Amino acid sequence: MKKPTPKKPSARTVLVRLFGASAKGIDIEKSVLTGYAAVDGKKVCVIGTCDGTYIDNGAALRLAAHVIECIEKQPKTPIVMLVDSAGQEPNRVAEMLGLASYFGHLLSCLELARRKGHKLITVATGQAVGGAFLCYGMFADRIYALDSASVGLMPIAAMSAVTKIPAPVLEKLSKTMPSLEFGAAPFALLGGVEEVWSASDDIQAKLAAAITASSTEDNRAELGKKRGGRKLALDIRKKVLAESAR
Amino acid sequence: MTGAILFHELTARQRIAALVDAGSFSELLPPPERITSPYLAQLGIPVSFDDGLVIGHARIGGKKIYLAAQVGQFVGGAVGEIHGAKLTGLFKAAARDKVPCVLIVESGGVRLHEGSSGEIAIAETMRAIFECRALKVPTIAVIATDIGAYGGIGILSTCCDFRVMTEHGRLGISGPIVIEKWMGKKAYDSANRALVWKTSGGKTKYLLGDADALVHDTADAVRDGISKFLGKSNAVSLAALKARQKDLAKRLKRFGAATDPDTVWKGMGVRNIEAASLASGPDFAALAKRGK
Repeated sequence: MKKPTPKKPSARTVLVRLFGASAKGIDIEKSVLTGYAAVDGKKVCVIGTCDGTYIDNGAALRLAAHVIECIEKQPKTPIVMLVDSAGQEPNRVAEMLGLASYFGHLLSCLELARRKGHKLITVATGQAVGGAFLCYGMFADRIYALDSASVGLMPIAAMSAVTKIPAPVLEKLSKTMPSLEFGAAPFALLGGVEEVWSASDDIQAKLAAAITASSTEDNRAELGKKRGGRKLALDIRKKVLAESAR
Repeated sequence: MTGAILFHELTARQRIAALVDAGSFSELLPPPERITSPYLAQLGIPVSFDDGLVIGHARIGGKKIYLAAQVGQFVGGAVGEIHGAKLTGLFKAAARDKVPCVLIVESGGVRLHEGSSGEIAIAETMRAIFECRALKVPTIAVIATDIGAYGGIGILSTCCDFRVMTEHGRLGISGPIVIEKWMGKKAYDSANRALVWKTSGGKTKYLLGDADALVHDTADAVRDGISKFLGKSNAVSLAALKARQKDLAKRLKRFGAATDPDTVWKGMGVRNIEAASLASGPDFAALAKRGK
């Protein structure tokens, strides 16, 4: 039996669930989130997307500007990144202007924040698909997802359309290969998400604990192996490190 | 041996052989180890003993480097779990040993047949690249083929310190066929090669500053291009990022409404579009500079 998909909450509702009354310090402009809020009484910087919007060159710059402002004016304040975006809209002018470089710039700003002692926590709140997740959310120290979020490379129907492999074949394989399955839970099995939070969880407490427990050490390959969803990555990486040390 | 053959026509292993000091390349996890993708095997798709990525260490002008070359002929150089883990491992080795790392890019991004594993591997490699950068270990992406750097690998390439491109190289996220499907043939005809290359090709990327060097399409020229950056690094500093923020905002303001790439070329100092279209590498760069 298929579990019913949890109902999709509005952007403001999600913000209030995460930050309580302090969510009012977060601006939503054209589905891009920037601002400051509080977690367990302590200030956090918030950047993100909502409404499953597309991230274009301008959106990437606005997010980057807020990260730079935080580094300059709010040293070491944790940065919480919320992801609900369908990714980049295929667009010729965006490509011509170098959308990849705008994303690379956003990532560089986040890297500087990390080096300067800002903790980086991602919560996938809605769509966290492909490039949208890669261009900032997946760059966090630790990544979490609401169970209502759509996390992964792409749904099986889309994968089937591009690879020309019949969907039932992919569907069947995904039972033993969580990498092919779409959703927060299989993504966590790969180590891509630390923990999935459900509607019944105390999300504010979870977020506070996540910030406290955060570490800059990338643990995803270890998690993927331990959870059995991504069995090869860690050992291959170790093999490269061992062979190159000889 | 390959002087007469264009760099983009070579295979991944030929590219390495043509770039590095003779006999200096030592491959890590070479094909005899037969590390192949279990995903592709399950799907009945041919596998490759290197999973589409050649990695190892070598010397250029006597200086040790780590290098990786993606194999475009194998599922478009796309990143699966093994391919991605080899790449992450290589950049981690570079950081550990403080040895520059060169990636010869030829990839459409994540290997869809392996789902989210490849996506996570790209994210992990980005982290490893920035580990190198924090240690001032140079990371260089060479983008010199038609397949180019797209999808997640396009984004990853922009995380490296430097990008060396040829006019054949293409850098972006969404490819022309995807955009044509989305916007319609009128907005983007993916068969219009001139338009495609002026949108994502090395010349335009060089003009805008997203490619740090534009070189001729030969192994010798690519090697010289790499050599120039081996001793340098591009620090991730507040001053540099603030300058970049300004630059990217200015670019968006100036050209955000442009539909014709020639507007960008002219705006960036190309006076004679015809001549510039025919010029290669540094000759093109010189023509552009002249107009500034």
